[in-house]
Formats: sequence, structure tokens, C-alpha cells
Amino acid sequence: MQEFFQHTLNGLSFGSIYALVALGYTMVYGILGMINFAHSEIYMMGAFMCFYLARFFGFNTPSPMNFTLGLLGAGLATAIIGFSVEKLAYKPLRNSPKMNSLITAIGVSLLFQYGGQIIFGADPKSFPTLIEDAALFELAGIQIHLIDLIIYGVSFASLAALSFIILKTQTGRAMRAVSSRPDMTPLMGIDNNKIISMTFIIGSVLAGIAAVLVSIKYPKIDPLMGNKIGMSAFVAAVFGGIGSLHGAVVGGLLLGLGEYYVLGYGASTYREALSFCILILILIYKPTGLFGSNKKEKI
Amino acid sequence: MKKLIIFLGSVIVLGIVLNFALNSYIQAIVISFMINAIMALSLNVITGLADQFSLGHAGLMAVGAYTSAILSKEVFADHWYLIPVTVLCAGLTAAIVGYLISLPSFKLKGDYLAIVTLGMAEIVRVLLLNWNHVGGPRGYNGIIKFPEFSYAYIFVVTLLSLVFVACYRLKYSWFGRNLWALNEDDIAAEVMGLDLTKTKRQAFVISSFMAGLGGGIYSHHLGYISPNSFSFLVSTQILIMAVLGGLGSMSGSVIAALILTILPEALRSLPTGSLDIRMIVFPIILIAMMILRPQGIFGRSELINFCKEKKWIKS
Repeated sequence: MQEFFQHTLNGLSFGSIYALVALGYTMVYGILGMINFAHSEIYMMGAFMCFYLARFFGFNTPSPMNFTLGLLGAGLATAIIGFSVEKLAYKPLRNSPKMNSLITAIGVSLLFQYGGQIIFGADPKSFPTLIEDAALFELAGIQIHLIDLIIYGVSFASLAALSFIILKTQTGRAMRAVSSRPDMTPLMGIDNNKIISMTFIIGSVLAGIAAVLVSIKYPKIDPLMGNKIGMSAFVAAVFGGIGSLHGAVVGGLLLGLGEYYVLGYGASTYREALSFCILILILIYKPTGLFGSNKKEKI
Repeated sequence: MKKLIIFLGSVIVLGIVLNFALNSYIQAIVISFMINAIMALSLNVITGLADQFSLGHAGLMAVGAYTSAILSKEVFADHWYLIPVTVLCAGLTAAIVGYLISLPSFKLKGDYLAIVTLGMAEIVRVLLLNWNHVGGPRGYNGIIKFPEFSYAYIFVVTLLSLVFVACYRLKYSWFGRNLWALNEDDIAAEVMGLDLTKTKRQAFVISSFMAGLGGGIYSHHLGYISPNSFSFLVSTQILIMAVLGGLGSMSGSVIAALILTILPEALRSLPTGSLDIRMIVFPIILIAMMILRPQGIFGRSELINFCKEKKWIKS
């Protein structure tokens, strides 16, 4: 039983990371209808940018201030990267077939992976400990770590901020409008390009925050680190119903839990296949995901 | 008939030249070019003609490669003249796997095939990593090869020609026109009485069969396969070939496979020190291609029609 609680806690903590990354996939899909394969590389860049900023400005010692600086730095850097990727690679293809932007996304993703290997070096680097991890207290026989609490707290705060932006602000209303009728929004005085850039920026910032949190917990970063988590987060987005925001969060949490149960009870070498088995089962039995809506097409 | 004789003659002359005049490095490049061409053609059937995006051809290739390797080692006791049989079996197994994948993929419109094939390739890779009988992560060693280059050359050339002719004829058959119709406007095609799901499924099974053939030859060409030889990167390389040549253009795929097999080897000699420029070149080609000439080198038309359009040759 104690073991079960331990796996649940770990699973939830990793699941909230998946949720943060999955939101980026689902937001871009909802607004552009394309799978942004480069999103996992933006996540990777978040970790590396934080690493280099921390080294350059010297905030690589454990303290709450440095942790906040790291989050801000990674968020800012990924926002710039996400914005420029959208402007340079995806915008010229806005009106061409969907296949082309999908292929470009794969190209951008590969470019970041190999460019990263050349610029940063292929060997793993050890991330600075921005927060000293400590076992805070014991609950029902399991230890609660500070870092897990921080992951819960920061992810929850980011999700709250996101839902505030989406539901309460003018930009968020415009985003929802663009995702439902991109052809009508210009008539309402909404600049579609600006809203799409905004979507990429928000998604990238979430990925950057997730990257810093993961890198503090598992302090090894390398240019291919986005691959695994990107795939899982993408599966989480499809699981929740791609295009649906709360679907991505629920999907991420459930997937994190599932992976840790599989990891904890034996079949650890099959962990990578699990998410895809779930994915194929979903597509067979409920192809739109948990919260997705099946759009009826009118002629 | 005249064309056939010219083709056969040039293939035989090239084979003789390759066999006697050139070293084994170039011979290996020639064989891997032909394998790449088969893979690009197989992807072109589903992605080019039917506009269904597959990101898991490396998985189908892995199924083919392992089937062929296991069959020739454990069932046919390492007789090299049975390689064509095992390669055929590899194609059939991949076709069965392809059929299973197609069951959930075509229920909905959109990029679902891309997602499912991506997942399938990953599942195949993880299963192979965990299968100790075929070496697991260490890979599968000692697969029988052709004893001489000339046999391998004849076999692979025959197979590539068969696959090419099959794809070419498929493109202009009634089935190819069905695929073209659902590529252009699936609602209109459905109204005309075309069963979309069934047609896409058939196209994907054909494509998987060819990918299995490619994988089968791959295992007998190298003599060693490991689960990591069929990673996501391989799928994207196949995709880049099909896109560069032009989706829907069969001769384009072959030419793009030729370019993209020779290019990395040519770049190998660049004085770049420890930097591996080759890895950067592929994605840059892909992105530049999509922005500048999204339809690929030839677009949908074949080499011969393309030359006629440009008035390079008289019709």
C-alpha cells in the first residue's frame, strides 16, 4: 500500500509535467490544426537556456530567488524561440496544405536536435541544483519531497494563470474565437497572426517551465531529452482529446500515473511502449479522446 | 519492348562495371541506394497518392528485416538462394502488420495515421529491445548475405524494378485514380461512391508490403540489424526522400533516394573536424524545400512527363 502511494505521488508529479507540455501541443492543434513536432525541442531548449543563463549570470546556487530567476529566464528564452520558429518556419506555410506544415515541423525538430548536438555537445550536462531537495515530512509512511511539492505548486500556478488568460482576458477570448472560426475572426477586428503568435508564446513558456522543473528533479540534460517527454505529452494530448485544454491536463495526469504504475510493478523496460499502447486503444475505442468533440462536416 | 531492352542492357553494363571496376564501398552504396529507393516508393504510395501521412515506415521495415533474418537463420538453415523467399515472407508479414495498423487509423479524418504509425514504430522497437531471443538491444548478428556482389545486385535491381513498375502502374490504374480523387477532395470522392476507409486501407497494406520487402533486403545487405537501426530518424529520412522527389512522383522518389544516399557520403570528406554537418543538412533541405518548392522536385508528374513539359526532350 505504501508503495502504491509512492508511485501515485511520483506519477502525479510527472503527470503534471506532461500536462504542461501537452497543453502546448493541444493549443497549437486547436488553433492551427497542425501537430507541432518542434514543441519537444522547445522544451529541450528551455532546459539548455536555463543552464547557460544560470552559468552566465551566476545564479546556479540553490536558493528560492535563483529558482525564480531560472524559471523566468527559461520562460523568456522559450517564448522568443517559440515566437521565431512560428514566424520563420510556419507562417510562410499558413495557406499551404496541412501536410507541408507537418513536414516543416519535423524538419525544425530535427534541426534543433542536431544543431543542439553540434552547439551544446552530445554528452549529457549536469543541471545546477537551483533548489536543495529535502525530505520535508512523512505522510502514511512515505516521504514527501520538497521538489515534488514545488512541481505541484508551480504547475498548478501555471495552469491557473493559463485558464485565467484563456477565460477572462481579451486575448484569451480572441484565441478561442480563432480556434473555432479562423475565417470569421478578421471581420471582428482580430488579428489572426498576432493571436497565433500569442498561442505559440504561451505554449512555449509552459514547456520552458516544465523543462526547468524536470531538470531540477533529474539533473541530466542532453539535446535529445525532448524526444521521450514530447512523445508522451503528445499522447497525453490525444488521450484527453486534442484541442481541448482540460483534456490535456487530465490526459497528462492519467498518463503520468499509468507510467509510474507500470514502472513500479515490474515491466519497466516496456515503459516507452505503454503510452503508445494506450494511444492505439484510445483511437480504437474513443477516437476523439476523453474530452474531444467530433466535428460534423457541412458541405 | 525497345525501352525494356535498353533498360536491361544498361543495368547489365552497370552491374559488370560495378562488379569488376569498383571497390566494395561503392558497391555497398549502390545497394543501399536501391533499398532507400524501395522505401521511398513504398511511402510514396500511401503519402503521395493517398495523402495519408505515415511516420512509422521504419517500424514496418523493422518487421520485415527481423522476419527475413529469423526465417533464413532458423527455418531455412542459412541457404543464400532462399533469400528471395524470406524477403517475400518479410513483405507479407509487414503487410499483415500494416493491415492491423490500418484498422484503428482510418476511422477518423486527419492526421491519425501519422500518430498511429508513429506509435506502432515505437512499440515494435520496444518489443524488439525486450526480445532476448533475437539479441534484444545487442542486435541480431550473423544474418546470411549473398556470397557475391553480382547476385545481390541482380536480386535488388530486379526487386527495385518490380516495385517501381508496380507503383508506376498503380498510379495510373483505376485504383490510383481513386486514391487521387480522395487526395483532392474526399467528400466529393465519397459522394461518387468511393469507400474511403477501404481504399485508404488497401493503399496502406500495399505500402506496408513494399516497406517489408525493403526491410528484408536491408537485413541481408548488412548482415546485422538492431532495434536502433529502425528509429524515428529512419522514418523521417524515408519521408524526406519521398517529399524531395515530389509526393506522387515515382521516378522522383528514386532520384531523391539517389541524391540523398550520395550526398551524406560526399559530405563525409568535408573538412569540418568534429562537427557532423550531415545531420544539419537534411533538416535544412526539408524546411527550405517546404518553403520554396513545397511540391518537391517533380511535383506529381514523372520524370519523362516533366522533361516533356519543360521541352527538354521531344515527345
